[in-house]
Amino acid sequence: MAVFAFACSQTEQVADSQQSDNTSTNPYENMDFPELNNFQKPEVETFTTENGITFYLVEDKELPLINVSTRVRTGGVLNSNEKTGLASITGTVMRSGGTETYPADSLNAMLENRAASIETGIGFTSGNASMDVLKEDFDDLLPVYLDILTNPTFPEDKIELAKTQQKSSISRRNDDPQQIGIREFQALIYGEDSPYGRNTEYETINNITREDLVNFHNKHFSAGNMMVGIVGDFNTEEMKQKLRNSFGELQNGDKTQLKFPEVDYESQSSINFIEKSDVNQSFVMLGHLGGLRDNPDYAKVQVMNRVLSGGFSGRLMQVVRTEMGLAYSVFGQYGMNSFYPGMFYAGVMTKSSTTAEAIDAIIDQIERLQEESVTEQELQDVKDQILNSSVFEYDSYEEVLSERLSNEYRGLPADAFEQYIEGVKATTIEDVQEVAQEYLDPENLQILVVGNKEEIGDQLEKYGDVNEIDITIPEPGSGDKQMVEGDAEKGEEWLSKMAGAVIDSDTELNSISLSGEMNMQGRKMPMTSTITYPDAIEQTINGPMGEVKVIYEDGSGKMITGGQERSIPPQMAKNLKSTLNRSFLSIALNSDQVNPQYLGEEELDGSSYAKVNVTVDDSNITLLIDTETHYPDVIRYKQFNPQMGEQVTIENHHSEWHVVDGIAYPYLQETMVDGNKSGEAVYKSHEVNK
Amino acid sequence: MLRRVLMSLTAVLLGFYLATPPVSAQSLDEFENKVTEFTLDNGLTFLIIERPVAPVVSFATYVNVGGANEPVGHTGMAHIFEHMAFKGTHTVGTNNWEEEKKVLKDLDNTYQEWLSEKYSTQPDSAKMDKLWTQFENLQEKAGEYVVNNEFSEIIDRNGGTGMNATTSQDRTNYFYSLPENRLELWFSLESDRFKNPVFREFYKEKEVVREERRMRSESQPIGRLIEEFASVAFTAHPYGRPTVGWHSDITATTMEDAREFYNTYYVPNNITFAIAGDVDPQETKKLAEEYFGDMKEGPKPPPVYTKEPEQRGERRFTIQGESQPFFIMGYHTVAQDHPDSKALQLLGSILSGGRTSILYKRMVEEEQTALQVSAFNGYPGQKYETLFATLAIPNQNVGVDTMETSILEEIEKVKNDGVSQEALDRARTNARANLIRSLDSNSGLASSLASAENLRGDWRKVFTDIEELNEVTIDDIQRVANEYLTKDNRTVGAIVTEEDNSSDEEVADANN
Repeated sequence: MAVFAFACSQTEQVADSQQSDNTSTNPYENMDFPELNNFQKPEVETFTTENGITFYLVEDKELPLINVSTRVRTGGVLNSNEKTGLASITGTVMRSGGTETYPADSLNAMLENRAASIETGIGFTSGNASMDVLKEDFDDLLPVYLDILTNPTFPEDKIELAKTQQKSSISRRNDDPQQIGIREFQALIYGEDSPYGRNTEYETINNITREDLVNFHNKHFSAGNMMVGIVGDFNTEEMKQKLRNSFGELQNGDKTQLKFPEVDYESQSSINFIEKSDVNQSFVMLGHLGGLRDNPDYAKVQVMNRVLSGGFSGRLMQVVRTEMGLAYSVFGQYGMNSFYPGMFYAGVMTKSSTTAEAIDAIIDQIERLQEESVTEQELQDVKDQILNSSVFEYDSYEEVLSERLSNEYRGLPADAFEQYIEGVKATTIEDVQEVAQEYLDPENLQILVVGNKEEIGDQLEKYGDVNEIDITIPEPGSGDKQMVEGDAEKGEEWLSKMAGAVIDSDTELNSISLSGEMNMQGRKMPMTSTITYPDAIEQTINGPMGEVKVIYEDGSGKMITGGQERSIPPQMAKNLKSTLNRSFLSIALNSDQVNPQYLGEEELDGSSYAKVNVTVDDSNITLLIDTETHYPDVIRYKQFNPQMGEQVTIENHHSEWHVVDGIAYPYLQETMVDGNKSGEAVYKSHEVNK
Repeated sequence: MLRRVLMSLTAVLLGFYLATPPVSAQSLDEFENKVTEFTLDNGLTFLIIERPVAPVVSFATYVNVGGANEPVGHTGMAHIFEHMAFKGTHTVGTNNWEEEKKVLKDLDNTYQEWLSEKYSTQPDSAKMDKLWTQFENLQEKAGEYVVNNEFSEIIDRNGGTGMNATTSQDRTNYFYSLPENRLELWFSLESDRFKNPVFREFYKEKEVVREERRMRSESQPIGRLIEEFASVAFTAHPYGRPTVGWHSDITATTMEDAREFYNTYYVPNNITFAIAGDVDPQETKKLAEEYFGDMKEGPKPPPVYTKEPEQRGERRFTIQGESQPFFIMGYHTVAQDHPDSKALQLLGSILSGGRTSILYKRMVEEEQTALQVSAFNGYPGQKYETLFATLAIPNQNVGVDTMETSILEEIEKVKNDGVSQEALDRARTNARANLIRSLDSNSGLASSLASAENLRGDWRKVFTDIEELNEVTIDDIQRVANEYLTKDNRTVGAIVTEEDNSSDEEVADANN
């Protein structure tokens, strides 16, 4: 294995001999490039109709296609926090629901039969409706396009479909570490209640009604808010006439004012962590608030940005990927948005064990930009990159058009790109260091790591107190959290009776061990369980998949199946804890902390119970206490069922109470979900403090 | 700027729609005039596509080698080589090749000794440590000769855009675009890197590749699912192995292996270049001779001998995961150039292409059981006998069994009742339109023509496929469904959420 079979081909030797005088001249260095072929940037023809729509036209005869794109002044930023997601659903259902003349099914078939597409969507800062057709279909489909733009019917079934899909996406949003990282970093920078950092939630989707969609559409999809771009194989004069005749009929409407709230950003350094136990790579984002596009230093900052993170030539890639081999993906951006401040960030994906090493390497590079000036060569390289590639800015008719529209929409001059190029040319070495010092703040970086806690260990502690972010998806209907008001004095009385009934006053309960079997969907599964109060569970179940052992203590735990040990997911640990907390023995042990409220009597299955509400983990739990035995025969609470996407009412019915060593335990426990029995547990014995 | 190795399923889908659609014969005639094709004496093929829309030009290099060609024990080799192609040449990326070469030779020798010790029957850990220290020292020394990322920097500062490369099971491609006056620069750099490859920073780059593997195949549920899926579906053919490579194979791969791989597959008769944009064919031909004429001929690379044997029964697997559920199913079918592949392509489109398709209408719109569903022929590749795959993402309240039941029911309906003529016509129309729409960019043109020429022997197949699509009848669709979509011939896989409701309730019951 020691022989190194370096196959020296002939070409290699030729190259070597060229190299022999060691002048290190590369063939490319002596290359003279001819002048770039003359290029006439296509002219954009514009006109404005009386109702306020400006049109932008570019002829492109290469292929027999026509593309229409309408940009609408609207956006998700206009939605309230309570109805986050309204704009997006409106944009979806405009198209998916069709119009009275063109209902969804026939619309879909008509378009697909002609290989045409009409799509609508509303983003955060603008709305868009596009039509892409073969030129011979243009006249037939233009009225369809306009009908969708102005007369969508928003049928209930398609609204429900869009909502279901949104909720499914919400339920999946914690599956991918990159998606988690980007989303939570935004929340960190802008604040989770700010329109720039908030999430669409089950509840905000539930809050949206058909009326909301109709109103949102009516308010914004009027002529005064529209700009229309058309590119493709047409005759400009004929096209203008067609557009006047069609779009000219639209109502002018009120002009939408897009309001972008100020970002209230406080410079700070922080280290934040999100646990994802099924990954072996950390996804890291770090940075702070960025800037605005109309900043006069825009070009200088972007030059600096390129030095740091401009592709393979950027320092981050050079150092973190190529030199250190720590990552495949390392990236960064000094974001300067048009409407509200962007974010400055750098990020990396690296194996758990090198998380801190990669973070340090990135911070070093940010600091270096402030501490030392870039070299002449480095600056020249970056300028060359930008200037030489500028020809690609307008290398297609579509790009020429979309850039023009985009500049107009954002209030930038038509020659914004040319101004940027001039700014790049004028940027000096001193400028780069100055903007680095002014706009970067390596002392105040917010760091976010999504990764595997067990593998990462204590690497993050050196950055400060690690703030663990809980990304549990909020459940809807948390209106249940509201205070329940009843008779507090009587509540206390009844709860104390209950506690006295289940735990003898002479007994100090530390742990309870149970054995029995579970019966779910006709399957009987032997089970043993030991609960050590206040916060530990050890449980073994012989299920259809073999023996499953769960060991939980104080917020985390592990699961052993078929000899394989895994840590249990955070959500499951959380569920275990709340299950334990709302068990009658835990309530009895904590009877002074659960705010009991007596709510009167309740009849159930012919028996009369004292109804007491208690609060555990901010949720309301109803106990039905037998007025004679004082046993809590029923425990009732609401829980979010992720499978059904809604709240369900759960009742645990307790019977066949046995007392051993001063502790009463029900040997039959039946669980009802919304009134239907979902399972039962039958116990054979219980032991106390063993 | 990511070099992709394993196309994600969505990318596969997209590729599927764009790769082989038809267009009218008239377009082919038009293209005959725009395309200049020539082959150098050494076997290198060039396609020049004139499209003077703007003063820019796009380049696509296709090498007819991918994951499926890798020798046993070296999965990931094609992809590692692809990464190495950005490391420079004897003159680019080094400050002293003569010296660097010596160190690199020592470095690889040391690594090979370490490997040999590691895999010996009784590894001597002291010896391994010593070799590893020596290896690390040499690696540091080699680093002193490196001019970091010079190859890509030259392209960047000359205004290059879209520089990247990808490796799939079937092929490796390299691409970027330049201002048209930099045509010669591309010739200089591209010929240099494929004539004079170096294995600079080889062992560091393997760590980069491992991070790529962690990112795509280990830290994302869908990545875990499709890797498992291919390895269960294929028992013999290399399509069952991941293109990004197994960790142990990445460890075992040396610079010498990479050199051997290069010698075998990076030979002129296995490479096609396409250049599209504002370009003069005569000038280009001259430059091709000048820069590539001396590239050494090589023997035709060996074929992939192994064929996947007939499957003897349904295969199933389940991943218990922390993510939401996913469902995937695939049937063994045929390679791209088999006559039945067109009918299978259209069947995929009829089942899941667009809002009128069978599965979309039922599962996404009417029953609202799926967030997304797709069906297509061509995973994990197209060159060899492949799979007709369906992927479904269930909605929030739905399990993977519902996905399976619905898809199987619809497949049965196609098998028993066939499909409508309208659906078939629509699928063909959309394939044609997709092709037309893909022809309006230099990079798209260069890539699709180079691919057809390199992998299928003729760039015209991009256009002539339409004849074949037109020949497909509704009977053909029904026939291929019956022939290939059978129970014994399928693999079914799923991710199910381990923290499901029942385990929650089990605990809940026990603790009350």
